[in-house]
This record gives sequence, structure tokens and C-alpha cells, in this order.
Amino acid sequence: MDWITEFLDELWDFIVQSLADNIPLIVGSVKAVVIAVAVMSVVPFLVWLERRLMGRFQVRLGPNRVGPFGFGQPMADTIKLLFKESIIQTSADKFLFHLAPAVVVFTAIVAFAVIPFGAPFEIFGQNIELWGANINSGILFVFAISGMGIYGMVIAGLSSNNKYSLMGGLRSSAQMISYELTLGLSALSIILLTGSLSLVDMVKAQETVPFILIQPLAFLLFFIAGVAETNRAPFDLPEAEQELVAGFHTEYTGMKFAMFFMGEYINMVTMSALVTLLFLGGWNSYGIPVWPIVSFAAKVVFLLCVFIWLRSTFPRIRYDRLMTFGWKVLLPLCLLNLLITGTIKVM
Amino acid sequence: MFDLATVFEFTRDTVIFTVGITAVLASLGVILCSSPIYCALYLISHMICLALLFLLYNAEFLAAVQIIVYAGAVMILFLFIIALLGGQKEAQEHTFERSIAFTFIFTLLGELYLSATVGPTKQVEGKIAPELFGTAKAIGLELYSKHLVAFELASALLLVAAVGVICLAKFSFAPLKRR
Repeated sequence: MDWITEFLDELWDFIVQSLADNIPLIVGSVKAVVIAVAVMSVVPFLVWLERRLMGRFQVRLGPNRVGPFGFGQPMADTIKLLFKESIIQTSADKFLFHLAPAVVVFTAIVAFAVIPFGAPFEIFGQNIELWGANINSGILFVFAISGMGIYGMVIAGLSSNNKYSLMGGLRSSAQMISYELTLGLSALSIILLTGSLSLVDMVKAQETVPFILIQPLAFLLFFIAGVAETNRAPFDLPEAEQELVAGFHTEYTGMKFAMFFMGEYINMVTMSALVTLLFLGGWNSYGIPVWPIVSFAAKVVFLLCVFIWLRSTFPRIRYDRLMTFGWKVLLPLCLLNLLITGTIKVM
Repeated sequence: MFDLATVFEFTRDTVIFTVGITAVLASLGVILCSSPIYCALYLISHMICLALLFLLYNAEFLAAVQIIVYAGAVMILFLFIIALLGGQKEAQEHTFERSIAFTFIFTLLGELYLSATVGPTKQVEGKIAPELFGTAKAIGLELYSKHLVAFELASALLLVAAVGVICLAKFSFAPLKRR
């Protein structure tokens, strides 16, 4: 029995030693878990916020019966969706049908990994940085991963074997490709100004003046393209209820249906965070004495409210006009803005 | 008995090996699968594996660009076309083209054998500062100083191709009237 205890002792020593040697690894794992859980659990709250605000915008009350201020409603909805029966029609491609919602949620959560949400601080002698990863091409990473999220919708549309789903999938792919250009090009003017692809450097460059004051046009273009990228009204063509039943997720039920919504809301948070980082100065509070993380969160929540405000204000744009708007208005404006920014930067 | 550096090294090698094998299997799936949707998906997974390999060798910028351009933009167009045309499975027939395809595959295998016997891959000699490695700056410096003419010529070529495609696919019917 000696060799077993010896082995276990050695293993224990090794584990303790390696944990002590690799505190950054542990901190990283903890951050990863915290970010994933926080991002997923913010979704029911957002649904509640949207329903309440929409109610107010439309001069009605919204859900207010379950718990105080209707706070119990999102929990009840979540439990209901978890226990609902999952129906798959026989003519659907089963593997792709299951894959699609997973792709949507996975990409939405992974894209949030590089979003920095506060200045670094010291605790127990460790320098804790409030971001999952500070890779030196952070903004490209967000674009790459959110670009992969389109596949979830296209695969859902293709695998459902339903004409409405197919139309929704087609529309989402065309719309995403068109508006991704605007998104990337308007972010490029900020990259030109800071000379870095890292989101942390971009926030550091805005310590005195937020970029919205220097680049108002780029902000407007980025925000419009961001609304289109997250499939929110008035650009919610892929799931236009009046034309396509529910678009690409027509055939989905229960939790799989809810996963598409989780993806959409998480993307909304990521897009708000991205606008905050690029144009509103991130966690810089410009003289108002609040914690950096509170300043960041306040800006993100405000932008989320703007997203909901847009949905209850504007009617849905017609499909051919959506394309015309994207290619003939937004894209030339983006290029013009980029040209002017580049010229000023060189001079 | 245990050494952390060895564990890390071993894990890294295992991950690289697994990603490489997955890339090869995915590319086999592209040519062996009969359903066009699955073919496209195999191609996408192959692209993602390549991006992961770039990432594992610390080329973050290349990995991001690989995903944005190939997996994001090009492949979504493939899927778009498949969705437009309908993704029916192809009927398998023995034709003349099939035998040509087999000849082609055997030629490729022969080339693979040749390249394997010629010698192991060599490291590229170059002077890149370690802090610049894999960043956008390193690629930009290389592309816009050393290879500027080739780069501009390639962009002109792409522009010509785009204009040509539009000329070929010019609509014969009148566009919708704006109201």
C-alpha cells in the first residue's frame, strides 16, 4: 500500500505546486465561467426589460402580475420553455436541426470573451483584468465569431424543410453579408484613429474625449449596421412575423426555440458593449465619480434601451429597400468617412 | 515524476495533432459527401481548423482574417447558393468523368508521396521582431513595403473579375419600380 500513498502524496504536491505556479490560469478559468454564466443569465432580465418597456411605449402596462414589477415572469417563462416538448418534423435533417441553435448560442457567448468591461485592479496581490482575453486583434475576433453566428440561422433555415424557414435563412445570410461591410468599415475609422486592433487600447485612447464626438458619422453607421446585424427591428426581415410566420425558427419548439432568442439577446448585449467601447469611451466616466464597471454597465444598459426603443418606434423596412439602403447609402457614406479620416490622419 | 512544462507541451502537441487530423478528415468529407449542404459544412469546418492551426502557432491576425474572409464571407455565399438551388443529393453514376476524377486523385497521391520523400518542411528564414510576430503590423509592413506592386496588381485583378461577373450576369428584365 505504500506506493499508493506515495503516489497520491506526490500527485497532491504536484497539484498544489502547479496551482500556486499558475495563478493566471486559475484566474482565467474563473473569469471564463463568470462571463459565460453572467451573459446567459442576463437574457431573462432583458426579455423582462423589453416587454415592460414595450408596454410603456405602447401605452399599456406590460407583464406585472407575477412577482414584484412582473419579475417572476421571465423565470416562469424559462421554466415553461425548459419543460416544453421538443418537436422535430420527420422531413427535417435531424443533425443540422439540432446543430443550428447550438451554433447560435455558442458563437454569441464566445464573442463576448474578448469584451473588456472595466479597468484592471489589484486584489490579493494579483492584477485582475476585467476581460476574458486581451488578444491584440480583439475587434477582428468579435467580427469573426459573430460572422460565424450567421451559420446558425442559415442551417436552421436549410434543415427545417419549410419554405418560410428557407426564406428566413436566405434573407438572414444576404442581410448579414451586406451590413457586415458597413460594420467593419465604420469600425476601421476608429482603428485608423487609435492605430490598434485591441479593444483595450481603443478605450485607453478615449480617456479625454469619446470618439462619438470625433466620429459622429461612423457612430451612426456602426449603430445602424449593428441593429441590422443583430436582426432587431426595423431590420428583423429574417423573422418577419407578418410575412414568414417566424422566419428561420418557424419549426423550433421549447428550449431550442429559446436558444435562438438567447443568441439574439446576447448578440444585442455584445453589440451594445462594442458600441460603448468604440464610441462612448468604454469605462471612462469623464469626471463623474463612479466605478469604471458601473460606468460601462450604465452605457450598455442605455444602448439596450435604445435598441428596444427603436423596435417600438420604427416599422419594418421592405426587403429591396433594405438592400438598397445597405449598399447604396450606408456603404458609400462609410467609404467617404474612411477617406476623410485617413486624409486628416495623414495630414 | 510530474513536470508541468512537459504536460503543457504534450497537451499542445496533442491539440495541434487533433486539429490537423480533423482538418484532413473534413477535407475528405468535402469530396466524399454527396449532399451539397454537408459538403459546404465540411468545407467550413476545414476552414475553422486551419484558423485554429494559425492560432496555435500564435498568428492571431491571420486566424481572425481566415475566419472572417473564408469561413465568414465566402462560405456563407456558397450556402446561400445551395439554399437558392435546393440541396438535393446527387445521384451516383459511373461515367467517364468519374474515371478522370480517380486518375486525378491518384496523381495527387503520387505528388503527396513525392513531397513527403523529398524532405521535411523547413523553417522560413526571416527577421521579424518577436513582439511583432503574428500581429497585423508585421503583415502590413511586409505587404505594403516588399510586395506592394503584387498586392496592387492582385487588387486590380479582383476588381476586373467583379466587373466581369456583373457584366455576364446583367439583368435582362426591368428592375422593380420604386414607389
